[in-house]
Amino acid sequence: MPVKNRIADLHEEVADWRRDIHENPEILYETHRTSALVADKLKSFGCDEVVTGLGRTGVVGVIKGRSDTQGRAIGLRADMDALPMQEQTGLPHASKTDGAMHACGHDGHTAMLLGAAKYLSETRNFDGTAVVIFQPAEEGGNGAEAMCKDGLMERFGIDEVYAIHNYPGLELGKFAVRPGPILASVDEFTLILQGRGGHAAKPQETVDTTVMMSHIICALQSVVARNVDPVLQGVLSVTSAETSSKAFNVIPDRAEVRGTVRTHSPEARALIPERIKEIADGIAATFGGSADLSFHLGVPVTINDDTAADFARLAAEIVSGEGACEGADVSMGGEDFSFMLQERPGAMIQLGNGPSAGLHHPEYDFNDEAIPTGISWFAEMIEQRMPVA
Amino acid sequence: MPVKNRFAELQNEITEWRRDIHENPEILFETHRTSALVAEKLKEFGCDEIVTGIGRTGVVGVIKGKSDTSGKVIGLRADMDALPIHEQTGLDYASKTANAMHACGHDGHTAMLLGAAKYLSETRNFDGTVVVIFQPAEEGGGGGKEMCDDGMMDRWNIQEVYGMHNWPGKPIGSFAIRSGAFFAATDTFDITFEGRGGHAAKPHETIDTTVMTAQAVLALQTIASRNADPVDRVVVSVTSFETSSKAFNVIPQRVQIKGTVRTMSKEMRDLAETRIKEICAGVAATYGGSADVTYNRGYPVMVNHEEQTEFAAKVASDISGSCDEAPLVMGGEDFAYLLEERPGAYILVGNGDSADVHHPEYNFNDEAIPAGCSWWAGIVEQRMPAA
Repeated sequence: MPVKNRIADLHEEVADWRRDIHENPEILYETHRTSALVADKLKSFGCDEVVTGLGRTGVVGVIKGRSDTQGRAIGLRADMDALPMQEQTGLPHASKTDGAMHACGHDGHTAMLLGAAKYLSETRNFDGTAVVIFQPAEEGGNGAEAMCKDGLMERFGIDEVYAIHNYPGLELGKFAVRPGPILASVDEFTLILQGRGGHAAKPQETVDTTVMMSHIICALQSVVARNVDPVLQGVLSVTSAETSSKAFNVIPDRAEVRGTVRTHSPEARALIPERIKEIADGIAATFGGSADLSFHLGVPVTINDDTAADFARLAAEIVSGEGACEGADVSMGGEDFSFMLQERPGAMIQLGNGPSAGLHHPEYDFNDEAIPTGISWFAEMIEQRMPVA
Repeated sequence: MPVKNRFAELQNEITEWRRDIHENPEILFETHRTSALVAEKLKEFGCDEIVTGIGRTGVVGVIKGKSDTSGKVIGLRADMDALPIHEQTGLDYASKTANAMHACGHDGHTAMLLGAAKYLSETRNFDGTVVVIFQPAEEGGGGGKEMCDDGMMDRWNIQEVYGMHNWPGKPIGSFAIRSGAFFAATDTFDITFEGRGGHAAKPHETIDTTVMTAQAVLALQTIASRNADPVDRVVVSVTSFETSSKAFNVIPQRVQIKGTVRTMSKEMRDLAETRIKEICAGVAATYGGSADVTYNRGYPVMVNHEEQTEFAAKVASDISGSCDEAPLVMGGEDFAYLLEERPGAYILVGNGDSADVHHPEYNFNDEAIPAGCSWWAGIVEQRMPAA
């Protein structure tokens, strides 16, 4: 039986919540209205415990099963924050806030997890504890890390964590998952290069920062080509390069280079910044200049636990039928659920959003038709992973 | 005899003119006050003809010698314009105008040529005609070219031209010159590389313009190292590099680079321009992108003519006992246009231990005035001696 009857009944109500959240997008940690709405709903469903203020504006709800013979707790996570974009959907429920938009479907994730919490609070048809986790600041704010640092896993005794991301282009009702890396680590770097400036007609009196920089940009191409194990994956992109002077007759004394590093393995992630530093220092020394590297660690690699990914696939097939769960592609995008997966085994699954605009596109909208499928998967994860004795 | 006695007498007066001009600097073609002052002085000296408005704000004075059996006409040229620099000398007569300063000594050049005009008008001790040329916009405006384009050479039938520049670091009263190429041709280039922008995590869907441009910057180094004849001179400097986006997660669509080329021969100049275009197009094509190269030719190579250079050096030696061999200068000089039209020579006169030209603490040294004026007078009296 695919979608549970009770969940089909909830469809309209959950879609209403989704559209309400969509109309009132909030960015990063500023999810005050959304967090309050989530906490209110959880209380109204009769959750056993509702905690706010974890990771600043995160919310946690605890739902105990009808028994707890194994002492197990499973975390289900949704993200609540919107993006700093101007919506162009023209929908009746379009954003009422200028420069803010739910363009990544977090409105749908939150609404589906609320739907699951309502169902689980009503039915309690499991042996253990379900912890529903609503995080702020997934989009570049490391909200998941903030919640973990506030002791989320230990405080609620969470053993495993699961999450859904909607996936434009994947058929409605379908899923995709893979064991191992599914999304990339996303780090950024800035290199400040210092030479010795001077007159463009007197190169012999200068250390030409522009030439030094060009050598470094070219040599950085060898990091992925020659240093990273070809089996592993990585991308190093120099995205900005700027000399300190824009004149035609001055050799600039400084240049700033920026870029991003994406990998699918902790090994490659550790190796690349070392090589950037060695290459920049080495080439700078060759020319008599210097290089100063600032490496900003963003989100780690999102790695699905093998067993957890199998369970996620099983639950998906229970909901949508055999063959309804594809092997997911590895993406070079990042996801801050990775912080939770560093702390506990678990998996993120992709849920078909049908032929919608792509994520982060101003015409994107979460597809409400995906709601029953998504809620059912959350419910199955709890009921299959912690079955009643 | 080194310096003419008359210039020793005139030194204070010329110094006053120089300081007045210094206090009132004017940029490029905006030398209205200076041009009016020059024209007024020339009138006062009794020049035979004074014409303003050549090359917009340029001024020309004609002084006939006591005879003209030779039919010769010699042009002497000074520049009048200042620089857009804020003066930091702290002098009594420092610039009264913010962000304008005589930081290249054109105030001194103009005052010395006025001094020579006064002397030559008084003495007329030569057989032929002197044309004193005061040009605007030497600093990047091509004022000398505009005066030539206004027909100056033909109008006064000028046969030879001479110019002078003060030189910091060289002792007062000393001279230096060189035959052939002397000051560099100064060109600029502005190149836009275009690839295909995209997401930094999807390099395979892009043509990375930053990598393409970095490769081109490196390849441009081979113009000086591999294309130029090792005995020739060329500087290719990439001075600015800017991606069209500054984000961390976007591969930019375009990169703009700028720079300058300095060469000492027409052949090398043509080669540098050709190679820049070939290298950029080739590197861009290698990566599947494109390069749009704008090459702007500035002042041409300034080439001293051999015969006039020898003569100018002899005049200088008569004044100070010797004349040094000048180094090649990688800077540019607008007098190059006058030397393309007529034979002539350009000489350096010592400015002593001053700050360098274009420095906010630079000042022309008034002690150089007698030597400079004497050289102007010597050029005229020895090139067109009175019968």
